[in-house]
Amino acid sequence: MAATPIIVAENVSKRFGENQVLTRVSLPVMERDVVCVVGPSGSGKTTLLRCLALLEVPSEGRVVMQGLPISTPERSKQVRSAARAVRSDIGMVFQHFNLWPHMSVLENLIEAPVRVKKLPKSEAVAIAEKLLAKVDLLDKRNAYPGRLSGGQQQRVAIARALAMSPKVLLFDEATSALDPELRREVLLVMRQLAQEGMTMLVVTHEMGFARQVGTRTVFMDKGEIVEEAPGAAFFEKPKTERAQRFLQQFEE
Amino acid sequence: MFKYQFRWDIVSGDNLDFLMSGLQMTLIVSAITLVLAMIAGLVIALLDMSRFPPARWVGVTFGEIIRNTPILVQLLWVYYVLPIVFGVRIESLTALIVGLSLYQGAFISEVYRSGIQSVPRGHSEAAQVLGLSPLQNFMRIVLPQAIRMTLPPLASNFVQLIKFSSLGAVISVSEITRRGMELSSTTFRPLEIFTFIAVVYFVICWPLAMGIRVWEAKLRNR
Ligand SMILES: Nc1ncnc2c1ncn2[C@@H]1O[C@H](COP(=O)(O)OP(=O)(O)OP(=O)(O)O)[C@@H](O)[C@H]1O
Ligand SMILES: [Mg+2]
Repeated sequence: MAATPIIVAENVSKRFGENQVLTRVSLPVMERDVVCVVGPSGSGKTTLLRCLALLEVPSEGRVVMQGLPISTPERSKQVRSAARAVRSDIGMVFQHFNLWPHMSVLENLIEAPVRVKKLPKSEAVAIAEKLLAKVDLLDKRNAYPGRLSGGQQQRVAIARALAMSPKVLLFDEATSALDPELRREVLLVMRQLAQEGMTMLVVTHEMGFARQVGTRTVFMDKGEIVEEAPGAAFFEKPKTERAQRFLQQFEE
Repeated sequence: MFKYQFRWDIVSGDNLDFLMSGLQMTLIVSAITLVLAMIAGLVIALLDMSRFPPARWVGVTFGEIIRNTPILVQLLWVYYVLPIVFGVRIESLTALIVGLSLYQGAFISEVYRSGIQSVPRGHSEAAQVLGLSPLQNFMRIVLPQAIRMTLPPLASNFVQLIKFSSLGAVISVSEITRRGMELSSTTFRPLEIFTFIAVVYFVICWPLAMGIRVWEAKLRNR
């Protein structure tokens, strides 16, 4: 039985004016996959993630979620309504957290469940508290984001994404904006999610995480997927010269 | 040598009452104008940001004309020209309030716009990914943050309005400056009277301006 992927980029190309940022990128993400996307700066990793998160519309190709197209260049009515239906099944964690500074941690977590899923507030609060306990921040439930460290903010952002019970979680360099000593706490949460079977697409410069936690590694360069390998295999035996050169940077 | 005999007692009794009722007018005009200017500013800002090109054109043109002509000329224009164009007589007080509201509204529309633009895109993108509708996104994420940013500039606008309302004197609105002019022409004591009036403006505007500065610093440090 061939499983259907949770979300797929099908031949996605993206241009900004003259600038070709993605060229026919195809990437299926299966259930429980932890796909790690690595590659040099400017290779189009963020743009790919933003296409999957429906923040960018592909110039060509499409994004398909559980068999239904949810993003196409034409954005037909049908596609838009399919997108609305699965919108909250796709969660995203941003490099710069993007917590809402005028709301407390708890308010950040319950906003979407209450407004979008129309959950009763008490229920949303119960879910939020469980998630805050999971990321070890229950004691900060009434704090404002501005009072938290970067690592704490990112853990809140992860909990906020989880509060909508997404089917897939996209991470865009979730630890890049953090001081090295704060990265570990965020990586630990991500690792725990992976162990619990969360489907994840992780753009990262943390080669250790990709190697140990990733089920698949995708190497991008100049807007294309250059190489793809299961788990740690990519790191042990990179096939292309470009990938070898890229990995050398991390050796010293 | 400066040998002037100050007669500060000119500014007392009935004369003082006369000036103070002018001050009352000044404050009332400023407050009413602030409210109207906030509404006018909203209309102009909405026109400016409209998806409908003719609306944008109207908003931008209006804003540019208002911001690039002197307020005094605008007041004279509203007071003398509008009645000719529309064939109705406008009370000087109405002309002052309308003129100042439009003038200040054109600046306040910029305040609104920069307030909205001060909210990082990422905040509304996060909301978009979580499924908030564009309206929810604006009302819940963008607006509350934008308002916080616009309150101090709006308060500064109030201070400006208090000062600009003195222009009402040229179209004979009996605010404090006009009253001063009248009083000095009967008492021949302009020095005491206009010094007193300057002090009154300062005593009102300076603490407000300082308060706003503290408030802004506090907001920035949040
Ligand atoms: N909105 C945009 N408008 C124009 N060009 C853009 C836009 N977004 C991205 N780009 C361009 O697309 C290219 C790829 O950017 P992208 O952010 O996807 O790369 P990345 O792989 O995430 O890089 P990094 O590792 O630095 O985050 C860059 O050259 C960038 O300048
Ligand atoms: Mg990036």
